[in-house]
Amino acid sequence: MTVASELPSLLAAIVGTRSVLARPSELVVYRSDGLPGYTKQPRLGVFPRTRDELVAVVRLLAERSIPFVPRGAGTGLSGGALADDVVLIGLNRLTRILSVDPVERLAVVEPGVVNVALTRAATPYGLHYAPDPSSQAACTIGGNVAENAGGPHCLKYGVTLNHVRAVTAILPNGEIVRLGNAEGEADGYDLLGAFVGSEGCFGIALDVTVRLSPNPQSVRTLLADFTSVGDAARATSEIIASGIVPAALEMMDGATIRAVEASIYAAGYPVDAEAILLIELDGLSAGLETDVARVEAMCKTAGARTVRIARDEAERARLWQGRKKAFGAMGRISPHLVVQDAVIPRTRLPDVLATIHEIAHRQRITVCNVFHAGDGNLHPNIGYDANDPDEQARVHAAMREIMAACVAAGGTITGEHGIGLDKLDYMDLIFSSESLAAMCRLREVFDPDRRANPGKVVPVHSCREWHGVRKAAWNA
Amino acid sequence: MARRTEGSVERLTFDAAAARTTAAAPLPAAAAPAAARPTSVADVREIVRDAIDRRTPLRIVGRGTWLGAGRPVRDARRIELDGLTGIVDYTPGDLTLTARAGTTLAEISAATAQHGQWLALTPWGGDAGSLGATAATASAGPMSGTLGAPRDIVLGLEAVTGVGDIIRGGGRVVKNVAGFDLTRLNIGAWGTLGVLTEVSVRLRGLPEQDASVALAVPNAESALADLLARLRTAPIAPLALEILSAALVRTLGLGTDTVIVARLAGNAEAVAAQRGALAQFGDVSDVPTEMWNRLRVIEPPDASTVRLSSPVARFAETWATASRLAAAGDGVAHGSLLRAVARVILPHADGDLPSAAVDALQATARDVRIFERLPASLWPALSPDVVSGALSRGVRDAFDPHRLLNPGILGDARA
Repeated sequence: MTVASELPSLLAAIVGTRSVLARPSELVVYRSDGLPGYTKQPRLGVFPRTRDELVAVVRLLAERSIPFVPRGAGTGLSGGALADDVVLIGLNRLTRILSVDPVERLAVVEPGVVNVALTRAATPYGLHYAPDPSSQAACTIGGNVAENAGGPHCLKYGVTLNHVRAVTAILPNGEIVRLGNAEGEADGYDLLGAFVGSEGCFGIALDVTVRLSPNPQSVRTLLADFTSVGDAARATSEIIASGIVPAALEMMDGATIRAVEASIYAAGYPVDAEAILLIELDGLSAGLETDVARVEAMCKTAGARTVRIARDEAERARLWQGRKKAFGAMGRISPHLVVQDAVIPRTRLPDVLATIHEIAHRQRITVCNVFHAGDGNLHPNIGYDANDPDEQARVHAAMREIMAACVAAGGTITGEHGIGLDKLDYMDLIFSSESLAAMCRLREVFDPDRRANPGKVVPVHSCREWHGVRKAAWNA
Repeated sequence: MARRTEGSVERLTFDAAAARTTAAAPLPAAAAPAAARPTSVADVREIVRDAIDRRTPLRIVGRGTWLGAGRPVRDARRIELDGLTGIVDYTPGDLTLTARAGTTLAEISAATAQHGQWLALTPWGGDAGSLGATAATASAGPMSGTLGAPRDIVLGLEAVTGVGDIIRGGGRVVKNVAGFDLTRLNIGAWGTLGVLTEVSVRLRGLPEQDASVALAVPNAESALADLLARLRTAPIAPLALEILSAALVRTLGLGTDTVIVARLAGNAEAVAAQRGALAQFGDVSDVPTEMWNRLRVIEPPDASTVRLSSPVARFAETWATASRLAAAGDGVAHGSLLRAVARVILPHADGDLPSAAVDALQATARDVRIFERLPASLWPALSPDVVSGALSRGVRDAFDPHRLLNPGILGDARA
C-alpha cells in the first residue's frame, strides 16, 4: 500500500473522516486564495479541530516526509496559501480564544481566531487588537502572524510583529517550541521576529500571545477630497513631514471612489473627486482638535476642495467601510483583478503615482489605487479579463513596470501581503544572491527538508545548496 | 523638590562618559594581532574572510563605549568600526535615515535635530555609542515602551555574516515583509550572526512640547502596586514613565525620595492635560528634560547591571526586589512602568561585586533576568548561555559556523 492511498485514512484516524477532504470536487474552494489568477489543486485537505489533532497531523506528515501548506482563512493576496499537489492543513477550526487578560493587556488565541473576533472579545475591557487588515472580518490571527499583516492603523500602531509577544509553534518535524516571552523580556536570538512573517515556511502556530491596545480616548476621522492625485499625494507628504502621526492615512483615487460609490459599500465619497484622503487622528482628547485643525489646514493648502469630519461613529464606520471593501467593490467591474503591494519612500508618492498613471495609459489598462498613503504602501489594482490574452499580456507588462518603478524609487516589493507565489519573480530585484541564500539557510534551521509551504517566498534557484524539490514521498 | 546644581551635573555627566570609555574589558594585548579598522563593507568582508581562513575569532567593536557588556570574548582580533561612519541617506520628508554602523547616535541626533526630527532610540549608555552596536545589542532606553525598541525602529540592515557573505535584510521604507526576516534576526544577536555594516531606521518628528514631571511615590509595595494600577488607566500617554530609586534620585540631584518621572510630549494642551491628570495621584514637580540624558549615562565604569522583568501586574513586587538588590549592593535602580522592566546598577569594589550583592542577585530568580554586565566569574553561574535551544544553535551554525564572531559573548562557545 502506498502512502498516497493510505494517507487519507491515517489522517481520518486523527481528525475523523469528515475532516479530511480527498476528492478534487471537495477541494475546489481551496484552489485559490484572496488573489484571483492563481489556482493550485491540493492533493488532500485536513482540518483539525483541536491542538492535539493538529500536532498529531503534523507529526504524521513528518514521519512520512510529506510536504504541507498551512492555511488560515485563505484571504491572503500573494498566493501564499496555495497547496500545489500537497497536503493543505486548514487551521480555520482552531478558533478558541484561550484567554483575555485586561490587566496585562494580553490575549492568547488559537491560530484560526478571526482578527475581528479578537477585538470583539477585548471590547468589554476597552481594548482592541490593533493590526486591522482590510480582510479583518475573515482573516485569522495565524494567517496574520504568517504574513506579518498590516492594515490602515499600522501607520501609528505598528504591524503584527509589534503586537505579538509569544508564539507556541510546531515545527515541520513535529517538535513544539516556545518563541518569545509573554512574562517579561526575551533574551537570545529573536526567533519570534524571524517566525512572524515567515509565510508558513517555518512551522505552524499552535497558540499566539498578542498585545491588546487600549482604545483611544478620542477619534476624529477626516475625509479630504482633491481634484488631482498629485495634490493628495503632496498633502500626505506634508502631514507625514509635520511630525503628526495619524492613526491612519489612506488614499483612494477617482477610479476607486467611483467603483465604491457604485457598489453596495457606497460611503458617500464625492464621485467627481480624483482623489480622497481618509485621515484618522486619535489619542488623548486634550489637544486632539488642535492637530485636527492643523491636518485640515495642510490638506486645504495642498488643494483639497473640502475637508469633512465625521460627526459620529456611524458616519465614521461608513467612511471606513468604503475603504475596507474597496477591493470587493472593484470585483463588480472586471472578472479578474491583480493587486500589488509595493512600498515607496513617502516623498516619492507624487512622482511614482504619476509614473503608474503613465504606465497604465501606455499599456491601455485601468489602474485603481487604494492604499496606505501614510506608509507609502501602494496597492495598485488592475482589473482585466483573463480570457483576453492580449489584455492579459499588457497587464503583466504593466505590473512589472510598476514594480520596477517602485524599486527604482528606493522601495520594496511587498509591505504587508507577502511574497507567496505572486512576487517570487521580483525577489531578485531587491535582494542579492547572498541575501537570498542567507534566507534559505534560515529556513533550513526551522525546516531542513523544506516541507512547509514548499516553493514559496525565496526562489528555488537562490538556494545554493538546493538539490531540487524533494519529491513528495507518495510519488517516490 | 531639591534641585541639582549645575556644577554637580557637569561633573556627573563628564565622569560617566569617561567611565564608559574606560570600561572596556582588558584584552590579551600580547597575543592578539593588530586591530582591523575597516572603512567599507568590502573591507569588513575581507577581514571576516581572512578570519575564516586563519580561524581567528573577531571581537566586534563599535565605538568601544560598552565593551564590558556581555560574557567575555577571549583571544580575538578586534575589528573596530569607528572608521565605518557617516549618514548614507537621509530624506527628512520620509522620516527615515540610513547610516553606516560605526556612526554615533550623537551624529545622527545632530543631523536630524536640524530638521525637527529625532531617532527615538535613546538607549542606556548615551549617544557616544554607535548605531550598529545599539542595533546589535538591541539596547533600549526610557522611551522604548512607547516609541519602540531597536526591533521596532530598525527598518533594515546590512551585515557581513560569519561565512563572509554580505547580506541585507529589510529596506529603507517603513513597511516591508519581503523575504525572511534577516533584520530581526541580527538585532540583539550581539554580532554573533554578522558584523553589522549599515542600519536604516525610522525617525519621528520632535514633539512640539517636551516636558517632564516627577511624581512622589509611596514606599510600601502594596501602595505602589495600587498607584501603578491606577496610572495604567489614567488619561496619560507619556513617552516614558520611569521609577527611580531614592539613591538614584539623589545622584541625579532631583531630591531625596523615590519618584516616578513622566515624560510628556505633544502640543501644549495635551501636555497640560496630562500634567493635570498626574497631579491627581500626588505631588507633581517639574524636572528638566535634560535629566533623561543624564539618567542614560549614570553607570559607573566598573559595575554589574541586571534587568528584571515580570508581568505588569507583578511589577511592584519586581521593583521591590530590584530595590532590595540595589540596597544590598550599594547601587541604584530604575524601572520602566510601561514595559515592566527594572534595571539595577551595582558598582564593583576592586573589580568585583560585594558578596552581599551576589547573595541578593541569587534571590532574584522569580523574575526574568537579563544580565548586561557581570564580573567574568559570575556569568557561568547566573547566565551561562542564551544560545541553548536547537533552533538558536542552528541559527548560529547557519550564519557563523566557525564561531568566529564575538565567540562566547552569548555564552555560545562550542562545548
